[in-house]
Amino acid sequence: MSLAADSPVHSSSSDDFAAFLDGELSSASSAREEALDEDGQSSSPANEEAEDENASCAPEEEDEDEGDLESKRLKRPRMEQLEVAECFEESATDESLVHNSEASTSKEICTHPGSFGGMCIRCGQRVAEESGVTFGYIHRGLRLGNDEIVRLRNTDMKNLLRHKKLYLVLDLDHTLLNSTQLNHMTAEEEYLWSQTDSLQDVSKGSLFMLNLLQMMTKLRPFVRTFLQEASQMFEMYIYTMGDRQYALRMADLLDPRKEYFNGRVISRDDGTQRHQKGLDVVLGQESAVLILDDTEHAWAKHKDNLILMERYHFFASSCHQFGFNCKSLSELKTDENESEGALACVLKALRKIHHTFFDELEDSLDGRDVRQVLKTVRKDVLRGCKIIFSRVFPTQFQADNHHLWKIAEHLGATCTTELDPSVTHVVSLEVGTDKSRWAVKHNKFLVHPRWIEATNFFWQRQPEENFPVSQQKNEGSVPPNAE
Amino acid sequence: MFFHIVLERNMQLHPRHFGRNLRENLVSKLMKDVEGTCSGRHGFVVAITGIESVGKGLIRDGTGFVTFPVKYQCVVFRPFKGEILEAVVTMVNKMGFFAEAGPVQIFVSNHLIPDDMEFQSGDMPNYTTSDGSVKIQKDSEVRLKIIGTRVDATVIFCIGTIKDDFLGVINDPATA
Repeated sequence: MSLAADSPVHSSSSDDFAAFLDGELSSASSAREEALDEDGQSSSPANEEAEDENASCAPEEEDEDEGDLESKRLKRPRMEQLEVAECFEESATDESLVHNSEASTSKEICTHPGSFGGMCIRCGQRVAEESGVTFGYIHRGLRLGNDEIVRLRNTDMKNLLRHKKLYLVLDLDHTLLNSTQLNHMTAEEEYLWSQTDSLQDVSKGSLFMLNLLQMMTKLRPFVRTFLQEASQMFEMYIYTMGDRQYALRMADLLDPRKEYFNGRVISRDDGTQRHQKGLDVVLGQESAVLILDDTEHAWAKHKDNLILMERYHFFASSCHQFGFNCKSLSELKTDENESEGALACVLKALRKIHHTFFDELEDSLDGRDVRQVLKTVRKDVLRGCKIIFSRVFPTQFQADNHHLWKIAEHLGATCTTELDPSVTHVVSLEVGTDKSRWAVKHNKFLVHPRWIEATNFFWQRQPEENFPVSQQKNEGSVPPNAE
Repeated sequence: MFFHIVLERNMQLHPRHFGRNLRENLVSKLMKDVEGTCSGRHGFVVAITGIESVGKGLIRDGTGFVTFPVKYQCVVFRPFKGEILEAVVTMVNKMGFFAEAGPVQIFVSNHLIPDDMEFQSGDMPNYTTSDGSVKIQKDSEVRLKIIGTRVDATVIFCIGTIKDDFLGVINDPATA
C-alpha cells in the first residue's frame, strides 16, 4: 500500500498523477467535497476500494480513474485517508521534482530566487512574501530576491555589452513631455483645443487630448528622433512619478509600436521608496545606467548616473507649479527649437558618452563604469575656463559649497576667489561690482549665473553674449526655455 | 483540468423582472454574474450548462428583492500541480516568460527553460536555441507542466516549467 516506497521504481507519470490527483482533491478542495457530499452519493466501502486501487498503482488504472472522475470526486475522505493522500501528495511532489530536475539539480534545497503570486519561480512551493523586491511593472505578483537580481543583471550586462548598448532611464514629465489637466488650462490656451492631433495615428502628432485622464499632453519637440536614435545605443526604461495608468498611456504616445520600452515602464506605484526613484527595480547594473531626469533630488542615491534635464514647461499650469510668473510657451504660441532644444543637445552628449565608453576606453569591457565616463565627458565642457563669482553668494557663505560653484567644477572649469589675469569669466548678478568692472576693463567675459546653468543643461559652452549682466536687478522673468 | 459540477447560488432579483419571463431573467442574470468569475474553491467558471433547480423565492425585508436559491451545472477549470497545459505566450523578458491558458496566468522562469535556450533582447524579445531552430516569443504556443498553483479569490497564479521531455514550443507564429 505504499506508493511512497515503490514510487522510485515504477515512476511512470500515471502513478504520480493518480496519487497527486487524489491528494489535490482531498486536501486542497475540501469545499468541493462538501458540496458534492451534500448530494449524498458517497459510500465508504467503494471509497476504500478506490483508494486501494490507487495505492496498488496498476498503470491501467489511469483510464478508469479518468473516466471515473465523477465518482472519485464524490468520495468522502475519512481522516486517515486524508493523511495517506497527503503523504502521497508529498511523495508525488518530491518525485516530480526529481523528474524535472535537470532543473533543480536533484533534491537539494531550492534557494527560492523569486516568487510569482507567492510561489517560488523555480520549485513552485509557497514562499513568504516579504523577501526581495517587487517587480509589479513587469507583472502583477512578481518578486525577485536580491541574489537573483544580481544574477540577472550580470547575464543581461554581458548580453547588452555584446550589442554595444547601455541602459537609459527616462523621466516623463518635463523631460520628454508636458501634461496639464484640462481644468487647469488658461483662457489663452484655449486655442489648443482645436489643434490637438488625432489619436488614431499617434506617431505623427505631438499634442494630444486624453479624455479618459482629463488631460492634455504635449510631447517635447525632437522627442521622436531622440527615442529613435537613443534606442540604437541604449536599452530604455521609463521611470515616472506619475501613476501606472498615466505612465502606460504616455508610453503608448511615445512608443506606439512598442519597440522602445517593451514593458519597461516604471511608475511611482512600483518604486520601493516613497518620493524617491531608485535603480533597484531596474534590471541593469548601476555602472551601465544613465538617467535623464529634471528633478535631481528624486535620485538621491544615484546622482552620479544622472544627467539633469532642463525642464520643459509648455503649459501655463506647469510654469505656475514651479513658481514662474511668466507666459508659458503655449500662451506665447511658440515651442522649443526642434534641432537645438534640450533633447537634441542631450542626445549629442549621450552619443559622446556612448562612443567614449565603447570605443575609447582601454581597459576590459567589464570593468568600465559609465559614471566615470559621464564625469569625464562633462569635464570637457568648460575646460580651460577660470571662473570667479561676484555678488552671487551671500557674504557668509562658504563659496565652494554653493551649487553653482560645484556645477562649474563638474563642468571642468576652475573656480577661484582671487582675481588674477588668468581668470576668463566673471559671473555676476550686477554690473556695478569691482570684479564686474575689472572684467569689462580687461576684456573678460562678464556673464549672468544662468550661463553656467544653461551650459550644464546643454552640454556645451553657451555663447557668452546671450547672458549679459543687465543694469536692472529684476530681470528674471523670461520663460526658462523660450527661444 | 475541467470539471462538470453542480453549484448553488442565491440570486437576488428585482421585482421588475417578475412575470412570465422570470425564469429566463434569472438564468440570464446567473450567466452574467457567474461565467468568467473565479472562485478559490472551484477555479474558473467557464460556462453554465444547465439549471438543476430553482428553489422557492424569499422576499427580503425592506427592499422588495426576492432571493432564489439556484442550483446549476457548470464547467469549471482549475489547474493542478503536475498537469500538462497548452498555453499562449503573452510576454517574454529576461526573467522568463508569461503565458496564458484561458484565464490562468502562468510564469515560466528562466531556471525552468532548457539551458540551451538563451534570451535575446530586441523589439521582439525571445528565447532561442543556439542553432535557432526553436524560438519562444510573444504569441508562441507552448506545452508546459504546472509545478505550482495558487488559487486566490479572483485569480489563479501558476508556475510552469518547459524543462522536461515533450515540453516546449508546439506552434510558432513566425513559421506558421
